[in-house]
Amino acid sequence: MMKFLAVVKHEYKKVVLKWSFLIGTLLFPLIAAGFAVVPALIFSIKGEPTRIAIFDQSGKIESRLRTNLSEGILRERAQQAAKDAMKDMTAPQKDKVNSDLAQFGDNFRFVDYNGEMKEIEQVRRELSGRIAAGELDAYLIIPQDFSAPDAKFEFYSRKAGDFIINETFRDALNNAVRSQRLADANISEAQLKTLSQSVDLEVKKLDKEGTESDDEGGFWAGFIIAFMIYLNLAIYGQMIMSTVVEEKETRVAEILFSSARPFELMMGKLVGVGLAGMTQFAIWIGSAAILIAAAIPYFMSSGIDVPLPNITIGIIIYFLIYFLLGFFLYASIFALIGSMVTSVQEGGQFAFFPIMLMLGGFYFCLAVVRDPNSSLSFWSSIVPFIAPMTMPVRIISETPPFWQIGLSISVNVLAIAGLVWVASRVYRVGMLMYGKRATIPEVWKWIRAS
Amino acid sequence: MNEQNVTLRVENVTKRFGDFTAVEDLSFNVKAGRVFGFLGPNGAGKTTTIRMIVGITAPDEGKIRLLGEKVSSELQNQIGYLPEERGLYKKIKVRDQLRYFAALKGISQTEADKRIDFWLGRMELSQWKMKKTTDLSKGMQQKIQFICTVLHDPDLLILDEPFSGLDPVNVEFMMDVIEEYKSADKTIIFSTHLMSTAEKLCKDILLINKSHKVISGSLREVKASYGKNLIALRATGGNGVLEDKTLVEKIIEHADEKELHLAENADSQVLLKNLIESGATISKFEQIEPSLNDIFIEKVRM
Repeated sequence: MMKFLAVVKHEYKKVVLKWSFLIGTLLFPLIAAGFAVVPALIFSIKGEPTRIAIFDQSGKIESRLRTNLSEGILRERAQQAAKDAMKDMTAPQKDKVNSDLAQFGDNFRFVDYNGEMKEIEQVRRELSGRIAAGELDAYLIIPQDFSAPDAKFEFYSRKAGDFIINETFRDALNNAVRSQRLADANISEAQLKTLSQSVDLEVKKLDKEGTESDDEGGFWAGFIIAFMIYLNLAIYGQMIMSTVVEEKETRVAEILFSSARPFELMMGKLVGVGLAGMTQFAIWIGSAAILIAAAIPYFMSSGIDVPLPNITIGIIIYFLIYFLLGFFLYASIFALIGSMVTSVQEGGQFAFFPIMLMLGGFYFCLAVVRDPNSSLSFWSSIVPFIAPMTMPVRIISETPPFWQIGLSISVNVLAIAGLVWVASRVYRVGMLMYGKRATIPEVWKWIRAS
Repeated sequence: MNEQNVTLRVENVTKRFGDFTAVEDLSFNVKAGRVFGFLGPNGAGKTTTIRMIVGITAPDEGKIRLLGEKVSSELQNQIGYLPEERGLYKKIKVRDQLRYFAALKGISQTEADKRIDFWLGRMELSQWKMKKTTDLSKGMQQKIQFICTVLHDPDLLILDEPFSGLDPVNVEFMMDVIEEYKSADKTIIFSTHLMSTAEKLCKDILLINKSHKVISGSLREVKASYGKNLIALRATGGNGVLEDKTLVEKIIEHADEKELHLAENADSQVLLKNLIESGATISKFEQIEPSLNDIFIEKVRM
């Protein structure tokens, strides 16, 4: 037992004290956070108001457009659009939305321009000149007959790439033109609104207890978890293989075997590296919990809707159990491969098989996320090798009955027992075979030999 | 033979790998406080036998008793094994490797640290303590490995070709350590195919070839039993006598003397008498012991 612990400690330290472990541990959450936060940050940066001149040849649109782009109307429109979302919002979120909306009026500043009695070409030239001089950001030329099918509204802008401004502007202009047309046709704005009211389709998920929850959070959490498990199994599995090959290549195995039983050595290695993997997960989960706890009030008050799945301690425990199941399944295969081959490169060719199995498990997860209760989801969360990835995803998207989880864990534990038994037999002989790669019939003989 | 003095007892041990028999019906005893030379050509079954002794593999037949017991994980702590194919972890610091190997032999870290400092100091490697194996020269790595072997102060030291690749200064160094172990009444099994070293170090020898025991016993006995038919002769005249095939089988000419291989059942005294009678002037007539090398070559060629 003392020797076993010595092996565990050695293997654990060997992984955890490496730079790659530190970098991996820090980098993964940073990358994940980067994907989530950076775009939001970029879009929250507000630009200068756009200085705009309007040359209205029809004389009917400009005043309506000015009204539409005015502070009050923009805010009202945005509030209208946000109304449905606001229903579920907390008080600070509403405040945030309102303060955001209050800034809308600042987006446009109108610059007066008198183009009367001037040729259209001259107007363009003059306004373009003012843009070039930096006095103006954009100008709009409204045609005489704005209702003609070939009527062309010309919009010139220095900031043509700012699609938020463009979108707001297009909406305002469309509305202005439409109101004018409606006014011309004697239809009131209010009448139109009632006629064109769209239906409201709300997507809600119902679980067994009948409580409703937001579906999106479950999907993303499932996907991220499946990916994390896949990634970690692949990384730590191959790590096992390379340390086994190293001990064989450097002949350290001979010294180790003369000091402790091969089974102790192999299990010590699996447990040590497995603990290192758990450490990494614990750091991730812990820092994620702290981050979420710290960030949620901020996001809530910023009015940003964060889709959060219902992650409980129970789910985290299941998650770690399945990580361990998957780890021991794949790690024993990788240890077996490592003891069969003579170099890491050679091992890489064989590693293809377990990697394919893992990838299969990852793909099954996608099916599970779509329909956690199909018979495909059921079987894929029972079958060894695949279950360690699919079951956590199933649990998080819709926790199956306990007997299914129990069955899945038992089946996988049995598979691990069998695999460890096989791997330890191959390991015992393979580690002392130098010079050539073991063939499958040879390996089969080692397994059967007492 | 005193029972208490026997550290290792190998009885009728056989080991097969499939159809190939690596060791067949091998028996020998190793006594405490003596260096036991385990000799044989490459592929004779030396490494297989050693692996069975240290408990890496188990014999198919026969039994091995170390200090009267079957080799267990506990008993492995009493063995220091320096394998022929030796290795260290490439990217781990010298101190950490030594700590790990010591821990696997049941030595606590504080105790291990003390011994590591002692041995590194003795091997003049103290400044390499926190370096990785890849930074060390080959000779240094070999010394580190030797430290691994003795760090837990084993009762039985098994050295498989310990001097290969070492410079003479370091060979001398290791010889000193071996000498210390001997005087501490510990047992050393020394496996080699370099007969000159074995001759210098070993009290007892065992020669195996093609999975079988060929000779065993104390070096003196072995040499004596093979030494009866070699004569070093410095003489003038008497050539006719030397051509008598019933007496002399072979003559090897050296610079100033002849080495005579006597024919089977020939008596050296008859040869001397005949030489004197033929009127030869004899300045040297000496019955010489064969070198271990000669015995080795003769036996292995058979």
